[in-house]
Amino acid sequence: MNGFSERAAPRRLLRLLPLLSLLAFLSVWHLAALCTDLLATPLDTAKALAGMLFFPTSKVTLLHHVWASLCRVLAAYALAIAAGVLLGVLFGWSRRFHDYCYPIFELLRPIPPIAWIPLIIMWLGIGEPSKIAVCFIGSVVPILVNTYFGVSRLDPTYLKSAKILGAGQRALLTHVILPGALPSILTGMKVALSSGWVCVIAAEMIAARKGLGYLIIRSMESGDMVHILVAMILIGSVNFLFSWLFSKLEGVVCPW
Amino acid sequence: MSDAKVQVRQLTKGFGELLVLDNLTFDVRPGEFLCVVGPTGCGKTTLLNLLSSWWTPTQGEICIDGRAMDPKTQNLSFVFQESSAFPWLTVEQNVQFGMKEKRFPPELIAQRTREVMGLLDLESVKEKYCHEISASAEQRVVIGRSFALHPDFLLMDEPYAQLDIKFRLHLEDAILALNRSTGSTCLFVTHNIEEAVYLAQRCIVLSNKPTSIKAVRTIDLPYPRDTCSPEFIAIKDEITEMIKWW
Repeated sequence: MNGFSERAAPRRLLRLLPLLSLLAFLSVWHLAALCTDLLATPLDTAKALAGMLFFPTSKVTLLHHVWASLCRVLAAYALAIAAGVLLGVLFGWSRRFHDYCYPIFELLRPIPPIAWIPLIIMWLGIGEPSKIAVCFIGSVVPILVNTYFGVSRLDPTYLKSAKILGAGQRALLTHVILPGALPSILTGMKVALSSGWVCVIAAEMIAARKGLGYLIIRSMESGDMVHILVAMILIGSVNFLFSWLFSKLEGVVCPW
Repeated sequence: MSDAKVQVRQLTKGFGELLVLDNLTFDVRPGEFLCVVGPTGCGKTTLLNLLSSWWTPTQGEICIDGRAMDPKTQNLSFVFQESSAFPWLTVEQNVQFGMKEKRFPPELIAQRTREVMGLLDLESVKEKYCHEISASAEQRVVIGRSFALHPDFLLMDEPYAQLDIKFRLHLEDAILALNRSTGSTCLFVTHNIEEAVYLAQRCIVLSNKPTSIKAVRTIDLPYPRDTCSPEFIAIKDEITEMIKWW
């Protein structure tokens, strides 16, 4: 056997590692469920998931619940990207803007998105905007912070070089600062996506009629553990899918 | 009227009580390759920061073609000691960066890109990003990007300091070829006396702080220079003797 094949075999085994870890996780879950009544088995959960795909739970099917949550997360995410990148660039680029506004941001940043819920209800009511607002607060912070660090930590040699090569202020922003900070911005966007999913559960506590968070709250009220597990698995799976897509996108837009 | 491309007159820079550069006056002729050498910490980088307009002098003036130097209207370029190739651009895009910013016509950009990449042996890696090429190739990209503009005045701050000796020799020849083909006026700062003697038509030797010009040595050896020739060694020893502080 040549050296290449010797190395190729362990590499193939390495690819199976995620599958092995999933199997181990399911086994532990199954064993734990056998020991107590407080946890449904993976098989029961899978059966419930299959049933919920076709039969309505709380008046709509599972895919409707997923879609409702997804729309809230993505709407908030789009707003968070626009606001986070804009403010992050301003914080990183303008010393004056940074000194003027950053202390306020630092003051607001540690407040958890959930703590805003009462105020948001008072301001925006209990409709869709309030749910999107909670997700927005959760998503905007990682994007803003990462954009700010990406811009402020950009090697000054790049800026000096671009200036001396003839770049004006606009070209500096579009041809140097934004592409230079892009890896950091993308990291912020990736974190923000997960953060948005975390917040949507809290947001759907506000008089929602559909959504995965709502499903969890309803199932908790009726003591339906299997449905809670189904919703939790779906949140994890959708987020995993988005993270995977994001990693692929990162390779395309940021190949360096 | 002087035939100098760049005129530096009574250039002085101090930081509070500390006088770093004291009354430097020299000319750089059109198309000339001028090296500046001096002991470590004598203010070579300060001189470059003034010549590139990053800093303003305490006193004195710098003129290009008889006009006060202004990077906005004059074609200046700078090669830093550390690599400044943009990692988000390919080799070819890096070389074209300055030309595109200055809105050169597309045909001229294409022609100069070919010319510079050919001279610096970058054709085979033109589609690659900087993390995919060697440190020496990366520094060649930066040098090519500057020369592609055919700058009025090109400043270089020990661009080979991070490279090992075999790449240095190769790059020194490439830089001389570019200087000849573009006709750009170059000022090259280095602490490596052998490098200065290999490259320069004239060499300015700086003193310790407060820094003044100790000597201006014309090096009239033919190119390519033989670093082992007695004449080369004699000039190198002469400059070393001037820089010696011990």
